[in-house]
Amino acid sequence: MTFPETLERTEPSLSTITAARTPEEILDTLDRFGIEWFISEEGTLSIKYWQVVADKFIPLEQVAIIKQRMPATCVQENELEWLSENLDSLKEEYAGKWIAICKNRVAAFATNLPELLNLTRECDKPFITQIPAGPVVWTFTYDLQKL
Amino acid sequence: MISKNFELVVPFYEVQDPAGNSIYIPLVQAILMTPQNSRFQLSLIFDTGANVTTLRADLYPLLGLASWDVGQRRDTSTAGGPSVAYQYQGTLEVFGKTINCPIHLMQMALHPLVHGLLGRDTVYREFGFGFWECKNELYVTLNPLVSTP
Repeated sequence: MTFPETLERTEPSLSTITAARTPEEILDTLDRFGIEWFISEEGTLSIKYWQVVADKFIPLEQVAIIKQRMPATCVQENELEWLSENLDSLKEEYAGKWIAICKNRVAAFATNLPELLNLTRECDKPFITQIPAGPVVWTFTYDLQKL
Repeated sequence: MISKNFELVVPFYEVQDPAGNSIYIPLVQAILMTPQNSRFQLSLIFDTGANVTTLRADLYPLLGLASWDVGQRRDTSTAGGPSVAYQYQGTLEVFGKTINCPIHLMQMALHPLVHGLLGRDTVYREFGFGFWECKNELYVTLNPLVSTP
């Protein structure tokens, strides 16, 4: 399989994609990078990528406000919300494990945090957490102390 | 007069107490920048009772540490009683603002939705907050010093 030169020129970190051996592995890697892809009827692979057009375009104090206007398809997934909604099923599968959530899916898991960090080097801002081996209950003193 | 308008809404998250009752917790999402320039999402309880942002002790690898207790020891008072924390300096991105602030590591209960507490030191002055318990929402302004026209 050969990739067009432009793929590697577009984003150097994408060169790691070409290390994958099968089309499925390549598509999985694209997913992991959060790169949208498209396969044509002829089997041609296309990818969508972002191009920086203006640094510091928005003042930092306005970034969060402006980002609320972004189309839904551009808004980053909320990993905390996804974790909250899927906690029961994650508990069944990953009890006692550390997991890394990226783009609303479990991108990696391990038995300890250092091992997990090694597995998530290519993830962008993963949400890392530990799924308890026992019941998931709130035992913080926060909100458990009655006035 | 300073404006008290808010631009962001942070919904509370539902968790279960040991009796199975639902309680709602104000969780703020932050990004921790590691010494190796990696970034990790954190979920922190908005806790005005916490002087310093505090992470669970077992998260020490995220700060590039070999152990949780190699920093400056701090004897602290918590809602659960006296406790020992170790202080470090770290960089957080909170509501889009990058903030260099003290970070404590402390032994805390494990819950998968929570990494620790978002404390006041250095962080809160960057924002204005409105806490609406009955709506289970936290309101945030990124411009706490803007005056009303």
